[in-house]
Amino acid sequence: MSIAAETKSQVAELGEKYKYGFVTDIEMERAPKGLSEDTVRYISAKKGEPDWMLEWRLGAFKRWQAMTEPKWARVHYPKIDYQNAYYYAAPKNTPKKQSLDEVDPKLLETYKKLGIPLHEQMALAGVAVDAVFDSVSVATTFKEKLNEAGVIFCPISEAIRDYPDLVKKYLGTVVPVTDNYFATLNSAVFSDGTFVYVPKGVRCPMELSTYFRINASETGQFERTLIIADEDSYVSYLEGCTAPKRDENQLHAAVVELIALDNAEIKYSTVQNWYPGDENGLGGIFNFVTKRGDCRGKKSKISWTQVETGSAITWKYPSCILRGDESVGEFYSIAIANHYQQADTGTKMIHLGANTRSRIISKGISAGKAQNTYRGLVSVYGKAKNARNYTQCDSLLIGGDCGAHTVPYIESRNKTARIEHEATTSKIAEDQLFYCLARGIPQDEAVSLIVNGFCREVLQQLPMEFAVEAQKLVGISLEGSVG
Amino acid sequence: MLEIKNLHVAVDGKEILKGLNLSIGAGEVHAIMGPNGSGKSTLSYVLAGRAGYDITQGSIAYNGEDLAALAPEERAAKGVFLAMQYPVEIPGVTTMTFLKTALNSQRRARGESDIDAVGVLKLVRAKAKTLNVSEEMLKRALNVGFSGGEKKRLEILQMAIFEPKLAILDETDSGLDIDALRLVAEGVNALRDPSRAMLVITHYQRLLDYIVPDRIHVLAKGRIVAEGGKELALELEAKGYEHIVGQAA
Amino acid sequence: MTLALNLDRKAAAAAVVHSHGVPHRRIEEWKYSDLKSALGDQGLGAVTAEWLVGNLPSGVEMFDLAWPNPPAWVMNHFARPTQNVMRAASLALSAGGVALRVPAGAQIADVLKLDFNGPGHVRGLLVLEEGASLTLAEGVGVADFRNVGFEIVLGEGAALEHVRISPEAGDAVLVEEVLLHLAARAHYRGHFAGFGSKLSRMELEVSLEGEGAQAHLSGVSVLDGKRHSDVTTHVIHRVVNTNSTQLFKHVAGGSARAVYQGKVTVAKGADGSDSSQTAKALLLGEAAEADLKPELEIFADDVKCAHGAAVGDLDAESLFYLRARGIPESQARGLLLQAFLEDAVAEIVHTDQRELVRTELLTALKAVA
Repeated sequence: MSIAAETKSQVAELGEKYKYGFVTDIEMERAPKGLSEDTVRYISAKKGEPDWMLEWRLGAFKRWQAMTEPKWARVHYPKIDYQNAYYYAAPKNTPKKQSLDEVDPKLLETYKKLGIPLHEQMALAGVAVDAVFDSVSVATTFKEKLNEAGVIFCPISEAIRDYPDLVKKYLGTVVPVTDNYFATLNSAVFSDGTFVYVPKGVRCPMELSTYFRINASETGQFERTLIIADEDSYVSYLEGCTAPKRDENQLHAAVVELIALDNAEIKYSTVQNWYPGDENGLGGIFNFVTKRGDCRGKKSKISWTQVETGSAITWKYPSCILRGDESVGEFYSIAIANHYQQADTGTKMIHLGANTRSRIISKGISAGKAQNTYRGLVSVYGKAKNARNYTQCDSLLIGGDCGAHTVPYIESRNKTARIEHEATTSKIAEDQLFYCLARGIPQDEAVSLIVNGFCREVLQQLPMEFAVEAQKLVGISLEGSVG
Repeated sequence: MLEIKNLHVAVDGKEILKGLNLSIGAGEVHAIMGPNGSGKSTLSYVLAGRAGYDITQGSIAYNGEDLAALAPEERAAKGVFLAMQYPVEIPGVTTMTFLKTALNSQRRARGESDIDAVGVLKLVRAKAKTLNVSEEMLKRALNVGFSGGEKKRLEILQMAIFEPKLAILDETDSGLDIDALRLVAEGVNALRDPSRAMLVITHYQRLLDYIVPDRIHVLAKGRIVAEGGKELALELEAKGYEHIVGQAA
Repeated sequence: MTLALNLDRKAAAAAVVHSHGVPHRRIEEWKYSDLKSALGDQGLGAVTAEWLVGNLPSGVEMFDLAWPNPPAWVMNHFARPTQNVMRAASLALSAGGVALRVPAGAQIADVLKLDFNGPGHVRGLLVLEEGASLTLAEGVGVADFRNVGFEIVLGEGAALEHVRISPEAGDAVLVEEVLLHLAARAHYRGHFAGFGSKLSRMELEVSLEGEGAQAHLSGVSVLDGKRHSDVTTHVIHRVVNTNSTQLFKHVAGGSARAVYQGKVTVAKGADGSDSSQTAKALLLGEAAEADLKPELEIFADDVKCAHGAAVGDLDAESLFYLRARGIPESQARGLLLQAFLEDAVAEIVHTDQRELVRTELLTALKAVA
């Protein structure tokens, strides 16, 4: 069989390749379909929330009704019917569990398939997982060890009840309720998410990890994450996302807020492989996410690392507000779009404080009929003396039917600032590919090898546990893309 | 000619030179040797007046004048020349334009008249020949795309053209093969003069085989820890810095 | 042209102007250049601006667009439909302009000098037929507000060098849109020197439509006080084996604002496209601002596209080196500024035009440095 023919047959199989495309059959409890003030009240009531939280949600909802969907990104999708979805879904009868043994075994089976080390293996892996199954946190582990260190790591619904002062103080201070259409929607209907607080001077003793997974059909997932690193603290947070295969599109509109105070550091890593839709562009997740970090304190640091291989549509710009003097922002990204996927992702580095530094390394890979856009802003304000930015933005095209786009905005209002931006676009090197083939490496593996090389600088930023998975994902997402 | 007393210099608030004393008379060639991080380059930069090198204590007298009070260009006009370890590349400025501008700037500052373009060209060509600096190099942008040897030769060419009174050679041997080293050293030796002082800064003894100094100072941790005649270089080569530095401590 | 055709095209343009209105900073393409607020109450108006051919080399044909019965070459190329609001305005709101033609194979050694003057809107058309070549020096007169819509058509193998100098123009609002069509092996070099005004916008759309077509765009701006200068380019590689380069350098003093927005599109199937884009700015003023947006839009895989952008101050190390060799600080700064701009100026092939730009730059640099 010629390489071309072989590739075609591989492409044909690809529809079956989404390895996380299984559905867990558990009875679900849902809010009535559609979105109204009642839906918001229902969610708040289900969560047993205090009045202030309900008011906050209702305010956001009111605001959202007056807003329109943003149109500036290079993504095209059918109109979303916000009334034709469920905004709350929870496995039925799941009040507080005392231990993992009480958790529905099917649920645990799901996690096993996902490869989440939720059982004893976790101890070995040293990972604490707050697993969000659709909208409700099911099991939180390692609480004790974290408790000892004084770290709070819990579902945000719990934090609203147990740590209202912290939540009130920080929620919505990085991504304001009115920030953008999807963030405002999230503020109204978020059903759960993660809350982390690392107290002064504490270095979080383990990598914190949450797996998000959309299971129920026609369910939007609106998780809300809030991480606060108090003075002189450090935390590394890992987020992985998967969703089952379905023909309809599902909306995912999350909000993540990070706050780093003086000398604090937050490292936030994401591996996103939501269902991307099939090879004809049917189905897949609409991923409209607002992620922003606020380097509020002096010498604070926030580092975003993302590996984006999934979702039909990705609309996501993890950003840093470099407010504190000498604060540091980083963005390391790999975005892979294959078949009919559309990704519009990048970052904003807002330099407000003196001697602030930022670094952006973005690797975009387009294949099939996909469109992949890097959109980034580096903005230096008048007071950001000696601000520094370095941006490297590379695109790789595999095949002649895809698109790779780069839209950087560079704005400087301080003469002592220095900004450097470099970008390249090229196709996968035939000589490298041939060299691998000639040495007996099969085509898909060769592609995986070369693309992993192309992404190396970013993969290096990932914690070990994620790096291996991410490397595999890079390969899987591009199978059959060269012909 | 140069009188350095109890010199303390800080960079970014960190003290690098910690009470350095050094005296060089006209016609003398002194060498400063020292391990990496001893403060050799800091000394050269502070003599040339680079910003960010703060004198926190002590003094530098040059022909009786306080050197620290002068801007870099004033020092140059008064005859201080630093041959840099890493000559800067300046795209867009041709070497010839640079040489002419620098030469006439120095002359003007001394109240001398400009030399016209033809005069400069003649002068440069005459000196360039002996240093094997080609016509083509002079047409290129300053140091851009020059090899390590070419850059160092151009530094020595400038020294020949500007005829400084105090020449500081910062690691002029670094990155040179033996032939290039010989060429550069010959250029330097040709400029030895009873009215000129030289300070040769180097890590290795090798350069001192070619430019034989009158006196050698060993710099370690911001201070001169040993001094001697040219034979000191051989001792250093044989026993290493650790030995001498350790003895002094 | 026939009255009907003229009216049709004008009506279509008027509709575009009407539906878009005056561009303002909430329109993405005008984010850094708020035309609406710069114009204030006076709006776009409907006055026809002036043009002047200072030197018409023999062999170049001229036609006044206000005259009746235009020749076929004007009919064929003038006022192609557009969605660009200011280009549409230059047609809809004016009653004239100039059309120029270099016949096939004519190699014109003399420089064609064309100035646009006075307030209002005006159109220009320049057609170089197959194998023709020309150097165009475009002058920019000071006026409260002027909008020039300029179309340039290069036939197969035609070669044009275009040098435009926009002087420091105080309170003027000067907008120009150049639209270029390049046939196979056509060669365009455009250099845009700008010294800023209340709002200055030079917009270039270059369409590479034939194999082997190439466009080389370069420009410099030196801005002082509150001057503004915006260069916005869009180069479209429509077919295989086309080549484009862009090199723009800006120096902004005072509270001046330098803007570069450059977009390179490689259409599907336009394999073998090669494009590079460099934009650099130096800020000298405490309140100066630079906004750079080098954009790539790539729909073909066998391409080589790169862009680079940088904003900063003069290199401290170079400054020290020059001073250490005796060059006084102000002179050293001047030298480094010239050096910074030099590679963009060196893009001008025509010697006299290049020297003219250099002279203008020297004067402007003295004021700003």
